[in-house]
Amino acid sequence: MNGAPMNSPGQPAERSFVVFQMESRRFALLAGDIVELAPPVRLHTFPHTNPLLKGVIVRRGHIVPVYDAAVLGGRHAAAHRFFLIARSGGSKDAELAAIPVAGECELVSGELQPAASRPAYVSGTLAIDGQSIDVQDGEAIEVLDLGKLVASIPSPSEARS
Amino acid sequence: MKSAESVAGRERKAPGTESVILFVVAKQMFAIAADDVQEIRSTDSLAGGANEIGGAQVAKVRHTILRNRRTYYVVNGAVHFGLLATRPSLVLILRQRRVAVLVDRIERMAEIPAVHDLPLAFAGTERHWYRGLAYIDDRVIPVVDPAGFLTGEELRHLDRASALPAVEQAESAVHQ
Repeated sequence: MNGAPMNSPGQPAERSFVVFQMESRRFALLAGDIVELAPPVRLHTFPHTNPLLKGVIVRRGHIVPVYDAAVLGGRHAAAHRFFLIARSGGSKDAELAAIPVAGECELVSGELQPAASRPAYVSGTLAIDGQSIDVQDGEAIEVLDLGKLVASIPSPSEARS
Repeated sequence: MKSAESVAGRERKAPGTESVILFVVAKQMFAIAADDVQEIRSTDSLAGGANEIGGAQVAKVRHTILRNRRTYYVVNGAVHFGLLATRPSLVLILRQRRVAVLVDRIERMAEIPAVHDLPLAFAGTERHWYRGLAYIDDRVIPVVDPAGFLTGEELRHLDRASALPAVEQAESAVHQ
């Protein structure tokens, strides 16, 4: 998958994104950061203090932290069928991170639009065909920046309701 | 009671591996390097020798024990890791630290080939709790850092509360 811009000069930069469902809400990640959609391997849990983390999985010899993207949307985690594994930074050496998803992932082309008044781990909202509103539920699709998500440790009260 | 070292010595150790003791607190399994543990005792055997700390500001420490003329602060493992309170049956007396840790039970000894870095996503106090993660028998188990049970500030609080002799405090400052 390639997240590089495909447009000619003067046009808005269009890139590839993977959109995934968390209950009734959809989020997106840059397609170029996605490593794989992994099967539901065992989730290992142990005590820690980051409310965004569910635990870790072991995938291809790597211990990968698992984020609960549902918490970002102020909802409880739903049943998941897969783990969407992505790099949590721009480089190939960046740490991997996993997000449990129901499996309904789409590869779409769109534009990353700046989004005001959103948490630092949201790099913008996704506009598809010039529309910045997710037609499924009327909410904008937030494009997550896993690198900034890793750097942030919001308390439960900071998670949006 | 045998020392942890003598128990570990009975198992064959492959080159490059590390011997760990797997212990359980509130149904959660942890690992600690066998070399970091001086002694494992039952809580019953130490009940008579434990002294309560009055007015301690460190909630996870309520008692001291005296072993070989040295005072150890007894850390409740469940409180330390933020787990549900349990009834611990064993005390791990750590080597070269004035810390003993209450745990529910010892699972077994194990050899681990490596301690994997804790992912950066774990950025809170758990970075002090753990040296890293071990992968043992299809399980990911945190390997505790013995230095993480009590911070220098907590030790100073406890030293004041327990009115430990100045000589022992100075000695512990060297080890912490």
